[in-house]
Amino acid sequence: MTAAAAARAAVLTGIGSFLPARRVGNEELAARLGSSDEWIHSRTGIGARYFAAPGTATSDLAVGAAERALASAGEAGVDAIVVATTTPDRPCPGTAPTVATKLGLTGVAAYDVAAVCTGFLYGLATATGLICAQVADRVLVIGADTFSSILDPDDRSTSVIFGDGAGAVVLRAGTADEPGAIGPFDLGSDGGGRNLITVRSGGSAQRLSGVEPPPAQSYFEMAGKAVFWQAVQRMSESSRAALDRAGWQPGDVDRLVCHQANLRILNRLADALGISRDRVVGNIADVGNTAAASIPLAMDHAHVAGSLRAGDRVLLTAFGGGLTWGSTVLVWPEIAQT
Amino acid sequence: MASMYDTLVNLLVDRFEVDRAEIRPGITFEDLEMDSLFVVELLVVVQTELKVKIDEDSASPRDTIERAAEMIEAQIAAASSAP
Repeated sequence: MTAAAAARAAVLTGIGSFLPARRVGNEELAARLGSSDEWIHSRTGIGARYFAAPGTATSDLAVGAAERALASAGEAGVDAIVVATTTPDRPCPGTAPTVATKLGLTGVAAYDVAAVCTGFLYGLATATGLICAQVADRVLVIGADTFSSILDPDDRSTSVIFGDGAGAVVLRAGTADEPGAIGPFDLGSDGGGRNLITVRSGGSAQRLSGVEPPPAQSYFEMAGKAVFWQAVQRMSESSRAALDRAGWQPGDVDRLVCHQANLRILNRLADALGISRDRVVGNIADVGNTAAASIPLAMDHAHVAGSLRAGDRVLLTAFGGGLTWGSTVLVWPEIAQT
Repeated sequence: MASMYDTLVNLLVDRFEVDRAEIRPGITFEDLEMDSLFVVELLVVVQTELKVKIDEDSASPRDTIERAAEMIEAQIAAASSAP
């Protein structure tokens, strides 16, 4: 009698990322805000971020990352595209069909996922579902955001933190015992915290209120203190849940890829999990918090730099608006450098 | 057992790079140039290192370290005496 075949799974086979050309250092923002490079650095760990050029949109960044991910996977196309974003090109329709057409892939299934900074992990989970349910054999998952389009330039608690960018992965159908197999997952949410990370106007609640919104409500707002408190706890609980389901201990984790929210959150999360800080993968100093893009962007930068290597046991975890949180694990596969 | 005040002082020195010589009874977090984000970070560290459940509003930058220690101790006592 032969052993049962390993279960069908989504397997990571390609990765890529894209940053817009304009790099914005702390000095440029500090001058406007009456702040300083040292102030920004000590509170966030951020030294620079990138802002998209006028005339571009989130889909342009998504396409840049997707082209590199497809090249890295050696694929010309996919069966489905999932775009995780908080800053779609338009409120309606979704951005993913535009991305598909710009990639020359008109006709494939394409939809957006809205889970703010947890969006990439939610997107990864839905793409894994498409593959495991045999809806698709190859899926492109893109996290892309242009927070520069929703930031209040005079709000120093948010304007120094966020940047624009995109990261993408290609998943293919494979088996759960292969390197690169994604999962198990832990996902969660708490709508009671919807005011902590939000853009208040522009949705149905405001439009049906019959009240003209104050201009400030069209900007992104974040309650930094409450978010810090929730982020460390939600990500550590979610990480432990995903590790438990995978049968891993925190000490088994070679690389922790956490949503790049704030360097101090990353370090406290590592401490809370009992994972050595030198195992934390991070690029927040160079790119800031890129929301849905941050995890694939951090993974791609680490892959290119050689700090994510084939065989590494990797924990991904994120926390974001909603509130939402999620975690998953994988063993890093062999992936071509592009 | 170390008092909560001593525990907070040690965390400030070991985890937040505060100079021990600057800390004295009656000094506030604000005096140590710790804003609300640093204070909530300290509370996260207290909660994870001491494995206790406390409230995110247990201290503010205008509180003295002594006052923060009292509020944390009161919460731990209330939690342990709960039925």
